[in-house]
Amino acid sequence: MHDLTDKALMLKVKSGDLDKLGLLYERHKKRLFGFFYNLGNNPSISEDLVQNVFVRMMKYRGSYTGEGSFTAWMFRMARNINYDHHQKASKFRITSGIAPEEVQMEAEGLSDGLEKEEDTRILNRAMAKLSQNEREVLVLSKYRELKFREIGEILGCSEGAAKVRVHRALKELKRTFLELEIV
Amino acid sequence: MDKEQFEIQAMEYLSGAMTDERKLDFEKFIGEHPNFKIELQELQDTLEMVKTMDAPEPSAKMDTVFFSSLSEEIGRQKAKQIDIGFLRYLWPVQKSQWILGLVVLCLGLAIGYLLNDQKGPEPIEVVTQDDETESMRQKLVLTLLEQPSANQRLQGVSEANKFEEADEIVIRALLQTLNNDSNVNVRLAAIESLTNYVDRPEVRQGLVQSIPNQESPILQITLANLMVALQEKASVEPFKELLKEKKLDTTVKKKLQNSIESII
Repeated sequence: MHDLTDKALMLKVKSGDLDKLGLLYERHKKRLFGFFYNLGNNPSISEDLVQNVFVRMMKYRGSYTGEGSFTAWMFRMARNINYDHHQKASKFRITSGIAPEEVQMEAEGLSDGLEKEEDTRILNRAMAKLSQNEREVLVLSKYRELKFREIGEILGCSEGAAKVRVHRALKELKRTFLELEIV
Repeated sequence: MDKEQFEIQAMEYLSGAMTDERKLDFEKFIGEHPNFKIELQELQDTLEMVKTMDAPEPSAKMDTVFFSSLSEEIGRQKAKQIDIGFLRYLWPVQKSQWILGLVVLCLGLAIGYLLNDQKGPEPIEVVTQDDETESMRQKLVLTLLEQPSANQRLQGVSEANKFEEADEIVIRALLQTLNNDSNVNVRLAAIESLTNYVDRPEVRQGLVQSIPNQESPILQITLANLMVALQEKASVEPFKELLKEKKLDTTVKKKLQNSIESII
Protein backbone atom coordinates (compact mmCIF):
# COMPACT_ATOMS: atom_id res chain seq x y z
CA MET A 1 0.00 0.00 0.00
CA HIS A 2 2.90 2.30 0.76
CA ASP A 3 3.79 2.33 -2.92
CA LEU A 4 0.42 3.84 -3.70
CA THR A 5 0.51 6.88 -1.40
CA ASP A 6 0.55 10.26 -3.14
CA LYS A 7 3.99 10.92 -1.76
CA ALA A 8 5.39 7.61 -3.06
CA LEU A 9 3.82 8.19 -6.47
CA MET A 10 5.24 11.70 -6.71
CA LEU A 11 8.69 10.43 -5.75
CA LYS A 12 8.39 7.89 -8.57
CA VAL A 13 7.46 10.71 -10.95
CA LYS A 14 10.54 12.56 -9.70
CA SER A 15 12.74 9.56 -10.47
CA GLY A 16 11.46 9.49 -14.06
CA ASP A 17 8.42 7.21 -13.84
CA LEU A 18 6.17 9.84 -15.44
CA ASP A 19 3.36 7.37 -15.97
CA LYS A 20 2.54 7.67 -12.25
CA LEU A 21 1.47 11.27 -12.76
CA GLY A 22 -1.59 9.81 -14.48
CA LEU A 23 -2.59 8.13 -11.22
CA LEU A 24 -2.13 11.34 -9.24
CA TYR A 25 -4.20 13.15 -11.85
CA GLU A 26 -7.04 10.64 -11.57
CA ARG A 27 -6.93 10.96 -7.78
CA HIS A 28 -6.96 14.74 -7.52
CA LYS A 29 -8.48 16.14 -10.72
CA LYS A 30 -11.99 16.58 -9.30
CA ARG A 31 -10.84 18.24 -6.10
CA LEU A 32 -8.56 20.62 -7.97
CA PHE A 33 -11.30 21.40 -10.47
CA GLY A 34 -13.68 22.16 -7.58
CA PHE A 35 -11.02 24.34 -5.93
CA PHE A 36 -10.61 26.53 -9.02
CA TYR A 37 -14.32 26.56 -9.77
CA ASN A 38 -15.27 27.57 -6.23
CA LEU A 39 -12.71 30.33 -6.39
CA GLY A 40 -14.84 31.91 -9.13
CA ASN A 41 -13.36 30.56 -12.35
CA ASN A 42 -15.63 29.27 -15.08
CA PRO A 43 -15.55 25.52 -15.89
CA SER A 44 -13.37 25.88 -18.97
CA ILE A 45 -10.76 28.03 -17.20
CA SER A 46 -10.90 25.72 -14.17
CA GLU A 47 -10.00 22.79 -16.44
CA ASP A 48 -7.09 24.73 -17.94
CA LEU A 49 -5.85 25.60 -14.47
CA VAL A 50 -6.01 21.93 -13.41
CA GLN A 51 -3.82 21.10 -16.44
CA ASN A 52 -1.41 23.84 -15.38
CA VAL A 53 -1.05 22.29 -11.92
CA PHE A 54 0.09 19.01 -13.46
CA VAL A 55 2.33 20.74 -16.00
CA ARG A 56 3.98 22.55 -13.10
CA MET A 57 4.26 19.32 -11.09
CA MET A 58 6.04 17.77 -14.04
CA LYS A 59 8.27 20.80 -14.50
CA TYR A 60 9.26 21.15 -10.86
CA ARG A 61 9.23 17.45 -9.96
CA GLY A 62 12.96 17.72 -9.25
CA SER A 63 12.28 20.07 -6.35
CA TYR A 64 9.83 17.68 -4.67
CA THR A 65 11.43 16.38 -1.51
CA GLY A 66 8.64 14.21 -0.13
CA GLU A 67 8.67 16.22 3.10
CA GLY A 68 5.36 17.50 4.42
CA SER A 69 2.00 16.71 2.95
CA PHE A 70 1.64 16.09 -0.80
CA THR A 71 -1.83 17.63 -0.78
CA ALA A 72 -0.47 20.79 0.81
CA TRP A 73 2.30 20.93 -1.83
CA MET A 74 -0.27 20.44 -4.60
CA PHE A 75 -2.68 23.07 -3.31
CA ARG A 76 0.16 25.56 -2.75
CA MET A 77 0.95 25.12 -6.43
CA ALA A 78 -2.76 25.42 -7.36
CA ARG A 79 -3.03 28.61 -5.31
CA ASN A 80 -0.03 30.15 -7.09
CA ILE A 81 -1.44 29.16 -10.47
CA ASN A 82 -4.77 30.77 -9.66
CA TYR A 83 -2.97 33.92 -8.50
CA ASP A 84 -0.82 34.04 -11.68
CA HIS A 85 -3.89 33.51 -13.85
CA HIS A 86 -5.75 36.40 -12.26
CA GLN A 87 -2.71 38.65 -12.41
CA LYS A 88 -2.41 37.93 -16.13
CA ALA A 89 -6.16 38.25 -16.65
CA SER A 90 -6.28 41.67 -14.98
CA LYS A 91 -3.20 42.79 -16.93
CA PHE A 92 -4.72 41.84 -20.28
CA ARG A 93 -8.26 42.55 -19.11
CA ILE A 94 -9.37 39.01 -19.85
CA THR A 95 -12.74 38.21 -18.42
CA SER A 96 -12.99 34.91 -16.68
CA GLY A 97 -16.36 34.25 -18.32
CA ILE A 98 -19.15 32.84 -16.28
CA ALA A 99 -18.39 32.72 -12.61
CA PRO A 100 -20.08 30.16 -10.37
CA GLU A 101 -22.58 32.67 -9.09
CA GLU A 102 -23.88 33.12 -12.62
CA VAL A 103 -24.07 29.43 -13.40
CA GLN A 104 -27.59 28.10 -13.37
CA MET A 105 -27.45 25.00 -11.23
CA GLU A 106 -29.80 22.19 -12.14
CA ALA A 107 -32.93 22.28 -10.00
CA GLU A 108 -32.91 19.34 -7.64
CA GLY A 109 -36.53 19.33 -6.63
CA LEU A 110 -39.45 21.70 -6.77
CA SER A 111 -39.99 24.02 -3.79
CA ASP A 112 -37.17 22.51 -1.76
CA GLY A 113 -34.94 22.67 -4.78
CA LEU A 114 -35.83 26.30 -5.47
CA GLU A 115 -35.03 27.37 -1.91
CA LYS A 116 -31.74 25.50 -2.01
CA GLU A 117 -30.97 26.98 -5.37
CA GLU A 118 -31.60 30.48 -4.05
CA ASP A 119 -29.29 29.83 -1.06
CA THR A 120 -26.60 28.51 -3.37
CA ARG A 121 -26.94 31.57 -5.58
CA ILE A 122 -26.59 33.94 -2.61
CA LEU A 123 -23.71 31.87 -1.21
CA ASN A 124 -21.86 32.08 -4.52
CA ARG A 125 -22.45 35.81 -4.71
CA ALA A 126 -21.28 36.23 -1.11
CA MET A 127 -18.14 34.19 -1.87
CA ALA A 128 -17.45 36.38 -4.88
CA LYS A 129 -17.60 39.47 -2.67
CA LEU A 130 -14.94 38.18 -0.29
CA SER A 131 -11.26 38.93 -0.73
CA GLN A 132 -9.15 36.39 -2.63
CA ASN A 133 -7.46 35.27 0.61
CA GLU A 134 -10.78 34.75 2.40
CA ARG A 135 -12.19 32.76 -0.52
CA GLU A 136 -9.12 30.54 -0.65
CA VAL A 137 -9.11 29.77 3.03
CA LEU A 138 -12.82 28.89 2.97
CA VAL A 139 -12.55 26.63 -0.08
CA LEU A 140 -9.62 24.83 1.53
CA SER A 141 -11.47 24.45 4.85
CA LYS A 142 -14.26 22.64 3.03
CA TYR A 143 -12.00 19.65 2.35
CA ARG A 144 -12.35 17.40 5.37
CA GLU A 145 -9.07 15.60 4.80
CA LEU A 146 -7.10 18.85 4.98
CA LYS A 147 -5.89 19.52 8.52
CA PHE A 148 -5.34 23.08 9.76
CA ARG A 149 -1.61 22.29 9.83
CA GLU A 150 -1.81 21.60 6.08
CA ILE A 151 -3.92 24.68 5.40
CA GLY A 152 -1.22 26.63 7.25
CA GLU A 153 1.41 24.96 5.04
CA ILE A 154 -0.51 25.97 1.92
CA LEU A 155 -1.01 29.56 3.07
CA GLY A 156 2.49 29.91 4.46
CA CYS A 157 1.39 30.57 8.04
CA SER A 158 1.23 28.76 11.37
CA GLU A 159 -1.53 26.29 12.27
CA GLY A 160 -2.96 28.78 14.79
CA ALA A 161 -2.99 31.58 12.23
CA ALA A 162 -4.78 29.26 9.76
CA LYS A 163 -7.53 28.63 12.34
CA VAL A 164 -7.92 32.35 12.98
CA ARG A 165 -8.08 33.05 9.24
CA VAL A 166 -10.78 30.42 8.64
CA HIS A 167 -12.75 31.71 11.62
CA ARG A 168 -12.64 35.31 10.42
CA ALA A 169 -13.41 34.37 6.81
CA LEU A 170 -16.46 32.41 8.00
CA LYS A 171 -17.69 35.42 9.96
CA GLU A 172 -17.20 37.69 6.98
CA LEU A 173 -19.05 35.22 4.73
CA LYS A 174 -21.95 35.07 7.16
CA ARG A 175 -22.13 38.87 7.30
CA THR A 176 -22.05 39.21 3.50
CA PHE A 177 -24.57 36.40 3.05
CA LEU A 178 -27.04 38.07 5.40
CA GLU A 179 -26.57 41.42 3.66
CA LEU A 180 -27.34 39.86 0.26
CA GLU A 181 -30.25 37.88 1.65
CA ILE A 182 -31.93 41.05 2.93
CA VAL A 183 -31.44 42.80 -0.44
CA MET B 1 -10.33 33.52 27.17
CA ASP B 2 -9.43 36.34 24.78
CA LYS B 3 -10.91 36.81 21.31
CA GLU B 4 -8.05 35.12 19.43
CA GLN B 5 -8.04 32.16 21.78
CA PHE B 6 -11.75 31.74 21.21
CA GLU B 7 -11.27 31.95 17.43
CA ILE B 8 -8.67 29.18 17.52
CA GLN B 9 -10.54 26.94 19.93
CA ALA B 10 -13.85 27.37 18.12
CA MET B 11 -12.27 26.10 14.90
CA GLU B 12 -10.65 23.19 16.73
CA TYR B 13 -14.01 22.36 18.30
CA LEU B 14 -15.92 22.52 15.00
CA SER B 15 -13.35 20.44 13.14
CA GLY B 16 -13.38 17.79 15.86
CA ALA B 17 -9.69 18.25 16.57
CA MET B 18 -10.10 18.72 20.35
CA THR B 19 -9.30 16.14 22.99
CA ASP B 20 -12.24 15.07 25.17
CA GLU B 21 -10.88 17.01 28.14
CA ARG B 22 -10.44 20.26 26.19
CA LYS B 23 -13.81 19.76 24.56
CA LEU B 24 -15.49 19.60 27.97
CA ASP B 25 -13.68 22.75 29.12
CA PHE B 26 -14.67 24.56 25.94
CA GLU B 27 -18.31 23.47 26.20
CA LYS B 28 -18.36 24.64 29.81
CA PHE B 29 -16.96 28.03 28.74
CA ILE B 30 -19.56 28.31 25.96
CA GLY B 31 -22.32 27.45 28.40
CA GLU B 32 -21.26 30.31 30.62
CA HIS B 33 -20.92 32.87 27.78
CA PRO B 34 -24.12 33.18 25.68
CA ASN B 35 -22.49 35.66 23.25
CA PHE B 36 -19.81 33.16 22.33
CA LYS B 37 -22.44 30.44 22.12
CA ILE B 38 -24.37 32.38 19.48
CA GLU B 39 -21.16 33.09 17.57
CA LEU B 40 -20.20 29.42 17.67
CA GLN B 41 -23.62 28.39 16.35
CA GLU B 42 -23.39 30.91 13.52
CA LEU B 43 -19.92 29.67 12.66
CA GLN B 44 -21.12 26.10 12.56
CA ASP B 45 -24.03 27.01 10.25
CA THR B 46 -21.76 28.93 7.90
CA LEU B 47 -19.21 26.14 7.84
CA GLU B 48 -21.96 23.67 6.92
CA MET B 49 -23.07 26.03 4.18
CA VAL B 50 -19.52 26.25 2.79
CA LYS B 51 -19.33 22.47 2.74
CA THR B 52 -22.39 22.34 0.50
CA MET B 53 -20.62 24.39 -2.18
CA ASP B 54 -20.81 22.34 -5.33
CA ALA B 55 -18.91 22.14 -8.58
CA PRO B 56 -19.89 20.53 -11.88
CA GLU B 57 -17.99 17.51 -13.17
CA PRO B 58 -14.97 18.34 -15.31
CA SER B 59 -15.41 17.41 -18.97
CA ALA B 60 -13.90 14.39 -20.74
CA LYS B 61 -11.85 16.86 -22.79
CA MET B 62 -9.77 17.62 -19.70
CA ASP B 63 -8.71 13.94 -19.52
CA THR B 64 -7.94 13.82 -23.23
CA VAL B 65 -5.74 16.91 -23.07
CA PHE B 66 -3.96 15.67 -19.96
CA PHE B 67 -3.22 12.14 -21.17
CA SER B 68 -2.21 13.42 -24.58
CA SER B 69 0.35 15.85 -23.13
CA LEU B 70 1.55 13.24 -20.63
CA SER B 71 2.07 10.73 -23.43
CA GLU B 72 4.05 13.34 -25.42
CA GLU B 73 6.16 14.17 -22.38
CA ILE B 74 6.92 10.48 -21.74
CA GLY B 75 7.95 10.10 -25.38
CA ARG B 76 10.23 13.17 -25.15
CA GLN B 77 11.71 11.88 -21.91
CA LYS B 78 12.55 8.48 -23.41
CA ALA B 79 14.18 10.11 -26.44
CA LYS B 80 16.22 12.33 -24.11
CA GLN B 81 17.34 9.34 -22.05
CA ILE B 82 18.56 7.60 -25.19
CA ASP B 83 20.52 10.74 -26.20
CA ILE B 84 22.11 11.05 -22.77
CA GLY B 85 22.93 7.36 -22.71
CA PHE B 86 24.62 7.66 -26.07
CA LEU B 87 26.69 10.69 -25.00
CA ARG B 88 27.75 8.90 -21.81
CA TYR B 89 28.82 5.96 -23.86
CA LEU B 90 31.03 8.24 -25.96
CA TRP B 91 32.42 10.23 -23.04
CA PRO B 92 35.48 8.10 -22.14
CA VAL B 93 36.81 8.25 -25.72
CA GLN B 94 40.11 10.15 -25.97
CA LYS B 95 40.61 13.33 -28.03
CA SER B 96 42.94 11.61 -30.48
CA GLN B 97 40.41 8.87 -31.02
CA TRP B 98 37.77 11.52 -31.73
CA ILE B 99 39.99 13.05 -34.42
CA LEU B 100 40.77 9.66 -35.90
CA GLY B 101 37.06 8.81 -35.87
CA LEU B 102 36.22 12.07 -37.59
CA VAL B 103 38.85 11.47 -40.32
CA VAL B 104 37.48 7.95 -40.90
CA LEU B 105 33.97 9.32 -41.03
CA CYS B 106 34.91 11.97 -43.63
CA LEU B 107 36.74 9.33 -45.65
CA GLY B 108 33.70 7.05 -45.45
CA LEU B 109 31.42 9.86 -46.56
CA ALA B 110 33.69 10.66 -49.52
CA ILE B 111 33.82 7.01 -50.60
CA GLY B 112 30.11 6.68 -50.07
CA TYR B 113 29.50 9.76 -52.24
CA LEU B 114 31.71 8.36 -55.02
CA LEU B 115 30.10 4.96 -54.92
CA ASN B 116 26.60 6.38 -54.65
CA ASP B 117 24.39 4.34 -56.95
CA GLN B 118 21.47 6.78 -56.67
CA LYS B 119 19.66 4.55 -54.22
CA GLY B 120 18.12 6.54 -51.42
CA PRO B 121 19.11 5.61 -47.91
CA GLU B 122 16.85 3.15 -46.14
CA PRO B 123 14.78 5.08 -43.65
CA ILE B 124 15.75 4.26 -40.11
CA GLU B 125 13.05 4.64 -37.56
CA VAL B 126 14.20 5.22 -34.08
CA VAL B 127 11.85 3.45 -31.80
CA THR B 128 11.74 5.14 -28.48
CA GLN B 129 8.55 3.87 -27.01
CA ASP B 130 8.51 1.19 -24.43
CA ASP B 131 5.65 -0.56 -22.73
CA GLU B 132 4.70 2.48 -20.62
CA THR B 133 4.38 4.79 -23.61
CA GLU B 134 2.44 2.12 -25.47
CA SER B 135 0.05 1.75 -22.56
CA MET B 136 -0.44 5.53 -22.31
CA ARG B 137 -0.99 5.68 -26.06
CA GLN B 138 -3.52 2.86 -25.86
CA LYS B 139 -5.49 4.83 -23.24
CA LEU B 140 -5.26 7.95 -25.38
CA VAL B 141 -6.44 6.14 -28.53
CA LEU B 142 -9.41 4.60 -26.74
CA THR B 143 -10.38 7.93 -25.16
CA LEU B 144 -10.04 9.85 -28.42
CA LEU B 145 -12.07 7.28 -30.40
CA GLU B 146 -14.97 7.83 -28.01
CA GLN B 147 -15.05 11.60 -28.37
CA PRO B 148 -18.07 13.26 -29.99
CA SER B 149 -15.88 15.40 -32.26
CA ALA B 150 -14.87 13.74 -35.56
CA ASN B 151 -11.57 15.65 -35.48
CA GLN B 152 -10.67 14.08 -32.18
CA ARG B 153 -11.63 10.63 -33.40
CA LEU B 154 -9.40 11.21 -36.46
CA GLN B 155 -6.63 12.18 -34.06
CA GLY B 156 -7.31 8.90 -32.23
CA VAL B 157 -6.85 6.89 -35.42
CA SER B 158 -3.67 8.79 -36.24
CA GLU B 159 -2.37 8.03 -32.72
CA ALA B 160 -3.15 4.36 -33.37
CA ASN B 161 -0.84 4.51 -36.40
CA LYS B 162 2.06 5.30 -34.10
CA PHE B 163 2.00 1.85 -32.49
CA GLU B 164 4.86 -0.39 -33.40
CA GLU B 165 2.51 -3.33 -32.94
CA ALA B 166 -1.05 -2.53 -31.90
CA ASP B 167 -2.59 -4.95 -29.43
CA GLU B 168 -5.94 -6.70 -29.61
CA ILE B 169 -7.81 -3.92 -27.76
CA VAL B 170 -6.68 -1.24 -30.19
CA ILE B 171 -7.45 -3.46 -33.19
CA ARG B 172 -10.93 -4.10 -31.79
CA ALA B 173 -11.46 -0.35 -31.25
CA LEU B 174 -10.37 0.38 -34.83
CA LEU B 175 -12.70 -2.28 -36.24
CA GLN B 176 -15.53 -0.90 -34.15
CA THR B 177 -14.78 2.57 -35.51
CA LEU B 178 -14.80 1.17 -39.05
CA ASN B 179 -18.21 -0.40 -38.51
CA ASN B 180 -19.98 2.18 -36.41
CA ASP B 181 -18.43 5.64 -36.76
CA SER B 182 -20.82 8.21 -38.17
CA ASN B 183 -18.09 10.04 -40.09
CA VAL B 184 -16.83 8.71 -43.46
CA ASN B 185 -13.37 10.26 -43.04
CA VAL B 186 -12.90 8.59 -39.66
CA ARG B 187 -13.97 5.23 -41.13
CA LEU B 188 -11.56 5.71 -44.07
CA ALA B 189 -8.74 6.54 -41.66
CA ALA B 190 -9.59 3.39 -39.67
CA ILE B 191 -9.24 1.24 -42.84
CA GLU B 192 -5.92 2.89 -43.58
CA SER B 193 -4.73 2.22 -40.06
CA LEU B 194 -5.90 -1.42 -40.17
CA THR B 195 -3.97 -2.04 -43.41
CA ASN B 196 -0.82 -1.98 -41.23
CA TYR B 197 -1.97 -5.23 -39.67
CA VAL B 198 -3.43 -7.17 -42.60
CA ASP B 199 -1.07 -10.03 -41.91
CA ARG B 200 -3.17 -10.76 -38.80
CA PRO B 201 -6.14 -13.07 -39.47
CA GLU B 202 -8.49 -11.22 -37.09
CA VAL B 203 -7.89 -7.95 -38.98
CA ARG B 204 -8.56 -9.56 -42.37
CA GLN B 205 -11.67 -11.18 -40.96
CA GLY B 206 -12.81 -7.90 -39.39
CA LEU B 207 -12.33 -6.07 -42.68
CA VAL B 208 -14.33 -8.69 -44.58
CA GLN B 209 -17.11 -8.59 -41.99
CA SER B 210 -17.32 -4.82 -42.26
CA ILE B 211 -18.12 -4.93 -46.01
CA PRO B 212 -21.92 -5.26 -45.56
CA ASN B 213 -21.90 -2.40 -43.00
CA GLN B 214 -20.55 0.17 -45.43
CA GLU B 215 -23.00 2.38 -47.25
CA SER B 216 -20.63 5.05 -48.48
CA PRO B 217 -19.38 4.44 -52.08
CA ILE B 218 -15.86 5.64 -51.24
CA LEU B 219 -15.59 3.13 -48.43
CA GLN B 220 -17.01 0.33 -50.58
CA ILE B 221 -14.45 1.07 -53.31
CA THR B 222 -11.57 1.37 -50.81
CA LEU B 223 -12.47 -2.00 -49.30
CA ALA B 224 -12.80 -3.54 -52.76
CA ASN B 225 -9.31 -2.29 -53.72
CA LEU B 226 -7.89 -3.60 -50.48
CA MET B 227 -9.48 -7.03 -50.88
CA VAL B 228 -8.12 -7.28 -54.44
CA ALA B 229 -4.66 -6.36 -53.19
CA LEU B 230 -4.96 -8.99 -50.44
CA GLN B 231 -6.58 -11.51 -52.80
CA GLU B 232 -8.99 -12.22 -49.96
CA LYS B 233 -11.35 -14.90 -51.23
CA ALA B 234 -13.60 -14.64 -48.19
CA SER B 235 -14.65 -11.17 -49.37
CA VAL B 236 -16.31 -12.46 -52.55
CA GLU B 237 -19.50 -13.53 -50.82
CA PRO B 238 -20.11 -10.22 -48.95
CA PHE B 239 -19.39 -8.32 -52.19
CA LYS B 240 -21.93 -10.45 -54.04
CA GLU B 241 -24.45 -9.68 -51.29
CA LEU B 242 -23.67 -6.00 -51.63
CA LEU B 243 -24.27 -6.21 -55.40
CA LYS B 244 -27.83 -7.25 -54.71
CA GLU B 245 -28.52 -3.87 -53.08
CA LYS B 246 -30.79 -1.82 -55.32
CA LYS B 247 -29.48 1.50 -54.13
CA LEU B 248 -25.88 0.65 -55.00
CA ASP B 249 -24.03 3.28 -57.02
CA THR B 250 -23.40 2.12 -60.64
CA THR B 251 -19.66 2.93 -60.49
CA VAL B 252 -19.40 0.95 -57.29
CA LYS B 253 -21.34 -1.91 -58.88
CA LYS B 254 -18.86 -2.10 -61.77
CA LYS B 255 -15.93 -1.84 -59.41
CA LEU B 256 -17.25 -4.68 -57.25
CA GLN B 257 -17.87 -6.91 -60.25
CA ASN B 258 -14.31 -6.29 -61.48
CA SER B 259 -12.96 -6.91 -57.99
CA ILE B 260 -14.80 -10.22 -57.66
CA GLU B 261 -13.42 -11.33 -61.02
CA SER B 262 -9.88 -10.33 -60.02
CA ILE B 263 -10.11 -12.20 -56.73
CA ILE B 264 -11.57 -15.37 -58.23
